[in-house]
Amino acid sequence: MDFDALFSGLDRHTLDGITRGSIYALVALGYTMVYGVMKLINFAHSEVFMVGTWTVLGVYTVLGVSAGAGLAAVIGATLLALIAAMLASAGTALAVERIAYRPLRKKGAPPLIFLITGIGCSMVLVETFGQVLRFFFGPPFGRVTVNIPSVLQTRDLFTIPGVDLTITNTRVIIIVGAIVMMLALDTFVNKSRLGRGVRAVAQDPDTASLMGVNQNRVIMLVFVLGGAMAGVAALLYTIQYDITKFDIGFIIGLKAFTAAVLGGIGNLRGALVGGLLLGIAEVYASTIWSSEWANVTAFVVLVVVLMFRPTGLLGESLGKARA
Amino acid sequence: MIRSSKTWQVAAMAAAAGLVLSACGTTDTDGGGDASGEDCNFKIGVMGALSGANASIVLPSVDGAELALKQWENDECEVTMEKFDTEGDPAKATPVATQIAGDETFIGVMGGAFSGETRATKSIYADAGVTMVSQSATATDLTQEDQVDVFHRLVPYDDYQGAAIANYLTDELGASKVFVVDNSEAYGEPLADRVEETLGNAMTQRDKTEVGQTDFAPTISKMESAQPDAVFYGGYIAEAAPLLKQMRDAGIDAPFVGGDGLYGADFGNAVGPAGEGAVVMCPCAPIAEDSTFAADFEEEFGAAPGAYAAEGYDAMSVFLAALDDGARTREEMEEFVDGYTGEGLSKEIAFDENGDVPKENVSYWAYKNEGGTLVPEVEVKP
Repeated sequence: MDFDALFSGLDRHTLDGITRGSIYALVALGYTMVYGVMKLINFAHSEVFMVGTWTVLGVYTVLGVSAGAGLAAVIGATLLALIAAMLASAGTALAVERIAYRPLRKKGAPPLIFLITGIGCSMVLVETFGQVLRFFFGPPFGRVTVNIPSVLQTRDLFTIPGVDLTITNTRVIIIVGAIVMMLALDTFVNKSRLGRGVRAVAQDPDTASLMGVNQNRVIMLVFVLGGAMAGVAALLYTIQYDITKFDIGFIIGLKAFTAAVLGGIGNLRGALVGGLLLGIAEVYASTIWSSEWANVTAFVVLVVVLMFRPTGLLGESLGKARA
Repeated sequence: MIRSSKTWQVAAMAAAAGLVLSACGTTDTDGGGDASGEDCNFKIGVMGALSGANASIVLPSVDGAELALKQWENDECEVTMEKFDTEGDPAKATPVATQIAGDETFIGVMGGAFSGETRATKSIYADAGVTMVSQSATATDLTQEDQVDVFHRLVPYDDYQGAAIANYLTDELGASKVFVVDNSEAYGEPLADRVEETLGNAMTQRDKTEVGQTDFAPTISKMESAQPDAVFYGGYIAEAAPLLKQMRDAGIDAPFVGGDGLYGADFGNAVGPAGEGAVVMCPCAPIAEDSTFAADFEEEFGAAPGAYAAEGYDAMSVFLAALDDGARTREEMEEFVDGYTGEGLSKEIAFDENGDVPKENVSYWAYKNEGGTLVPEVEVKP
């Protein structure tokens, strides 16, 4: 146990935790929105994220950019990768909804069935990248870890005087990017007409349909938005870690789901709070002990929070209150 | 081999599968078991991951064996090599072993390539008296615990590796402050323990990470305060890649050294430019590009000899030498291999009572990642 290590660099560790948590939070949005509207855990969401990371790799490969490209090329390639990843992830999420959930919804299947088809979709997507695409196209697809060129290279931007904390460009992009996307989504759901539809369906699907809200459309919108956020997370993830793999979604999906529950599943701001808290708890624990204690600590925090607030820190409230 | 981490659960499942499948295995042997002692028509089985994610560390050794057989000159004997794909999976290896064990024309088997499949099948081979020579299974327990007489291997076992790595770190790199990281699982943790043991005071700090982890920020900040002059990582490629990248991003330039879990053509692809100069230690012998073996191999298979190609060639050569010597039964084969000594491509071959090559005959090689390929750098003794 090394509390000195934690306290001597508390600012640095907090920053590390926020960086890690920002990505959790973005992925958590997908779980939380789908849950808020459909009371369903979309287990295929982790693979929606995975598809995003591969899309980033695809864009970089097609453009032929690599580490050390000029500034204009870097910005262009990154933005293009962002858009492509958002589209690909949103498309995947939409396809999952169409194939795995909508037919069941039409038949009024019990909720458990949705979980199974979700897990099935997740496996299909994982094996598509691990096996099927390799069969047709060969490497880089397959079961090995693949390097994604660090088009956007890490540079020191500035040092916060006094605490001697160096801020890098990738950190700024990840944290600011994640928070801006979340604020935009929050504003969209709370302020726009379509967002009002989302909240209406979340509150009471039947009444919402009677009031003329197209439930199917709202559900599609929710999947698209959640998928797009996973796409943003995928780009930020590749900027920070430079790799992808066919099963990369599994752990991050698990963490994001945990973050969603911690903050209050169904609650957008809860996803942000839960993600950041989870990231910080993990980094603190890893610093005091080592990374193998990160999950233990994170889940102890989860259990303690749920003991006192069973609906998560901010409660389950995509539909309720806050008009 | 590096997949020594198969859980007991898998082994138990494999054993159960073996029980079920052994019934089918024995029924179809009645037709083929009529090889008499005198004529020399034999098959040598090869068992390993010939397809799937780990095939790239097995196929070159199989090619090496094929080359040895092809170059063999013997008028008396007709020997064929039969390949069995296990995908490295103990559950798939068990029926293969049963089939080979039940067919008397198989006089020996090269393998298993990985430790898990070897662990699951060695008792089946032992019961049938089939001699095994493994080109790459390195788990310590295969020869040190519940050992069977028929099992031999051409690679040193995992216990030696930690010592070899520590020697490389202190002697070759001259490191006195080594930061040791492991992945907290059955391969990386004991390896890091051995490295730590041998390093003694030359280790500055130890940190544990997890399989599947991608964010190593806490480990990086520990490194920043420890200021190591070398970093050792016990684990696999999937985690080594992001760890290395984050280290270099944070400006930690200390040399990075890993165990054979990182060895393979995939390493360079996964780590990218951040892995330039990273060192991977492996018990696999490098092959001089201008050797006749390399030339013959290239001509035969259109590629330079890869991982464990020389060990595969050596394993087959041991079997063939036995046939030259007049071994015509499984008992005679076992007796010959037990007492075999000879100069192999990879090392001076001999087997001790456990089936291991004696410690003084083994060595490790440090391979340096240069532009995405692992180039042999230096030989290290454990």
